[in-house]
Amino acid sequence: MSGNRPAVLCEGLSVKYGSVTAVDRVTFDVQPGEVFGLLGPNGAGKTSVVRALTTILDPSAGRAEVAGIPLDRPGALRAQIGVLPESNGYPGAETALDYLRFYGQLFGMPAAESAERGESLLRLFGLGANTNQLISTYSRGMRQRLGIARALVNEPQVLFLDEPTLGLDPAGREDVLSHLTSAVATNGAGVVLCSHLLDDVERVCDRVAILDRGRVVALGTVSDVIETAGIGGRMRIAVVPDRAGQALGQLLKMPQVVRAESSLSRPGEIDIDLVEREPHANQILSLLVGAGIEVRGVELQGARLSEAFLTLTNRDVER
Amino acid sequence: MTVHSRPQVSWVVIAIHELRGLWLSAKGLTVLLGYTLLLSIMAFVAASEAQLNLLDARESVGIVVQMAIGLGTLAALVVSADAISGERERDTLEALLVTPVSRRALVIGKMAGASSMWMAGIVVALPYVVAMARGPGVAADALFVLVVAGSLVGISLTAVGMAISAVAMSNRVSLAAGVGLLLVFAAPSQLPAVTANGVLGSFLIAANPVSAGLKLAGLVLIDQESLASQWTLLISPVVAAVVLTYVAIRLSSRVRLGGAR
Repeated sequence: MSGNRPAVLCEGLSVKYGSVTAVDRVTFDVQPGEVFGLLGPNGAGKTSVVRALTTILDPSAGRAEVAGIPLDRPGALRAQIGVLPESNGYPGAETALDYLRFYGQLFGMPAAESAERGESLLRLFGLGANTNQLISTYSRGMRQRLGIARALVNEPQVLFLDEPTLGLDPAGREDVLSHLTSAVATNGAGVVLCSHLLDDVERVCDRVAILDRGRVVALGTVSDVIETAGIGGRMRIAVVPDRAGQALGQLLKMPQVVRAESSLSRPGEIDIDLVEREPHANQILSLLVGAGIEVRGVELQGARLSEAFLTLTNRDVER
Repeated sequence: MTVHSRPQVSWVVIAIHELRGLWLSAKGLTVLLGYTLLLSIMAFVAASEAQLNLLDARESVGIVVQMAIGLGTLAALVVSADAISGERERDTLEALLVTPVSRRALVIGKMAGASSMWMAGIVVALPYVVAMARGPGVAADALFVLVVAGSLVGISLTAVGMAISAVAMSNRVSLAAGVGLLLVFAAPSQLPAVTANGVLGSFLIAANPVSAGLKLAGLVLIDQESLASQWTLLISPVVAAVVLTYVAIRLSSRVRLGGAR
């Protein structure tokens, strides 16, 4: 893939199911080597976007290219992608190696080369000791890793992963994500990752788009999206307990403060929500010091993607 | 990478995979076991009645060949009706559809794999037919009817199952529709003799591949008609095998996930 060509280019893409618009003029791009998070509540249209981009569904409007190939060349396009669908079943009566060998052959690889590729992927995903084990004996986490291995069997230029960590315990999620990021780093594929697990997204995604009711309501880096959501920062300060009431009074007068509350369990500590994170935190500290209130501790917290997600999607609901 | 120097024929890859899935798992063997048991019982009953002179020896051969064709095509239908709707139901279809393999290759490969069920049915039926047909000296005719007429009917029903499976949203619907169609196909062979020998009855039987195949077995093996005089009964099985296979392949463009509209 050429260095300048986006891994995914999606312009005004719409998908309709009868009279229902599932995806409404969605536009975004994904660069090679980038992990792009596609987020949204249930029914937001994430899976429909992925299915349109992987030629499973026909879009009703718009255009898209994946690995530089337009959607009207499905065979050529599918040769360049790897997909882990949201509901991915596995043939329990097959061994993992047979499964990967079969898919390698479907991508035109000779059986021997396909088996070699399968073995190396199984090793890469920590399943090297289970290559000849029936898939029915695999745990859920092992199956998810196998699914990602299958999606990588053709060394795709673009990888679509729909909820790859869904239903996994924290260790399993960690395992899948670390294997995923190392695999992506190895072959430089562009990745479209759909997930409800925003901590995972925050950890691995370079950029994200938040979909709500089929539309993109925010697009950019995680910080951009948080900014789009208009969420400020949060800070916790510790003052001398005797001066906490005075400090709280001062804080509540400030327009930069959205909310300020004394901690009931930790005397002297005050939790503050800010309109903007850093400039306002500095102003608060200056004010308190200027008022002669000794500040014993400061903890500055950034807004989380999950808060931005809730704000953006709720805001849309309220419209 | 993704461009490979020696591309393989994808429908062959799928057919081999289907064969492995069918015969190395319990599925194919279970269906074949059921087929074998029923055929064994029918052959035993027919041979016993022939021994007791309750049944003409030729008639017992005719019954066994008809049973082999009927049960074998049912088995082929059951297997092919599961081929795509089963993938859909097991959530394994989407992974197949996002490979570069065309839907046509997918259907052809699966149909080739499912056809092995009828072939296995022939292999199982052969010793019964040969052993029973040796006495009345109709082994050649019995084998011809079993292999040629039976295969044409088997191919037709495999194609019917595949066509239904391509568009049915669930396995249950696919199997019910397939078996229902088989009953419709087989119905003319159960017409009363008076109706069956009338113009309309004869036409219905001859135009329907299943009843035509069964009728051919009856006429040649039981009524001692020559194959040459009854060759027209092979027309509808030939036409059905070609047309239904074509239809199944054409319907491959309708292979979609459940959510697609």
